[in-house]
Amino acid sequence: MVITRISLENFTAFKELKFQPSPGINVLVGANSTGKTHLMKVAYAACDISKTKANFAEKLIRVFLPSGRALGRLVKRQKGSIRGAVEVYRNSLKLRISFSNHATVPDSATVTGAKDWMAHPVESVYIPAKEMLSNAPGFRSLYAQREVHFEEIYADILDRAYRPTLRGPVDPERKKLLTYLQKLIEGKVVIKEEEFFLRNKQGNLEFTLLADGMRKLGLLWLLIQNGTLLNGSILFWDEPEANLNPKLFGPLIEILLQLQRMGVQIFLATHDYVILKEVDLRMKSEDKVLFHSLYRDKNTGEIKYLSTSEYLRIHPNAIAETFADLYNREIKRSFGEVAK
Amino acid sequence: MTVLKEGNLELTLPPGVRGRRFDDHNHGLSHCMKAVDFIVEEADRVLFIEFKDPDHPHAEPKARNAFLKELLLGGKDDDFVRKYRDSFLYRWAENVAEKPIFYYVLIAASQLDEAQLLARTDALKRKLPVDGPESGAWKRQIVAGCAVFNLDTWNKHLPQYPVKRVNV
Repeated sequence: MVITRISLENFTAFKELKFQPSPGINVLVGANSTGKTHLMKVAYAACDISKTKANFAEKLIRVFLPSGRALGRLVKRQKGSIRGAVEVYRNSLKLRISFSNHATVPDSATVTGAKDWMAHPVESVYIPAKEMLSNAPGFRSLYAQREVHFEEIYADILDRAYRPTLRGPVDPERKKLLTYLQKLIEGKVVIKEEEFFLRNKQGNLEFTLLADGMRKLGLLWLLIQNGTLLNGSILFWDEPEANLNPKLFGPLIEILLQLQRMGVQIFLATHDYVILKEVDLRMKSEDKVLFHSLYRDKNTGEIKYLSTSEYLRIHPNAIAETFADLYNREIKRSFGEVAK
Repeated sequence: MTVLKEGNLELTLPPGVRGRRFDDHNHGLSHCMKAVDFIVEEADRVLFIEFKDPDHPHAEPKARNAFLKELLLGGKDDDFVRKYRDSFLYRWAENVAEKPIFYYVLIAASQLDEAQLLARTDALKRKLPVDGPESGAWKRQIVAGCAVFNLDTWNKHLPQYPVKRVNV
């Protein structure tokens, strides 16, 4: 069951936002500090507890890591007493949490709808911008035993990557994707004593010796192979472009479009023109793709968003505006000094 | 005021500026040399202008998409370069290639965004080329500047040379 709505009120950077995603691919664009990552993290936290049955307030704290682990610090900063609220919907299922800006412990939050929410668990995965697999050995046990200052998304992604291969025959669609990825990374990923290796004809190559981009594609291979990304799963990916060779953006988007066709709901936050354009060029009319532009309202300074299914209608488009600025300056230069 | 026409695109020149169609029957060497659409003479510079009109109302969508795909992959760059260089040589032989020449290519396709126009502008600069060899052997440039526009960016950056679409 996909996410159908996310409502935020006085939460982190948001005054009020009612976000309606596509059941397919959602591409989030916007300048820095327009809340793209926060939106994905809050939705991910809600999805994750549907399986782990953890307390929603605790999960939010572990995912956002406010100073002193004080829940109240996740309320939008303003003077006086105020409450923040989050609602995440999957069709008729609604998970809601509200808490005051004075809240220090998770128990002071009011959570409703958790029982029904957890009765319908959803598989979800959050891929952070920073690559984690090469730092994996020992990290999970350290995270479990100590209060290390890492957002939980980093430990969670490793948990998912370490999952054993899904039992039973691999369906043709997944097999096709896995073969495609194996071609790109020129091998398969194997795990030995918590350490990730790329296995190919030459033997096993440690992840630490691989390019960051290859590690990312290796992670994607693992998540498809172990069944984390299947029909009904939800993928959140923050800046998939980070450390990836732009030539691999096309194949990556092709994989994501295919996952979407298999029934995976996807959220991508990107700053990259090529990622955006690859989605535009590769999507077919039957694909369910929405571009969401997050921006700060000129008058109020508050975060708002506009959605469109057409690339050219993305507005405002911070990425394209950057290119427009470069283009304008290039044109001015090409006019030379004798320009009229 | 001079108005130059290519298909249903109309380019209006400012008062006092001379310009002419270059790739017409007067050219006389179309069997062996390519030519830009227009040459415009200003007091201290010359403009070579080439128009392409994929958004022409009568254009077949299939042909239009094929053109744009080829353009974005760089497949049209060499054609633009050849048109420029042949026109330059022609002018050289006429003994009129004295003023700096600027080369402006208009691709009337609304779907082209600034990133794509920037990529084509950079490619054209590299291939014409705007700069001579690193050795510094060139004492003068063969082109003073070049740029690729869509209709919107043309009219924004060259307001003195408005281009509009007229009914066929």
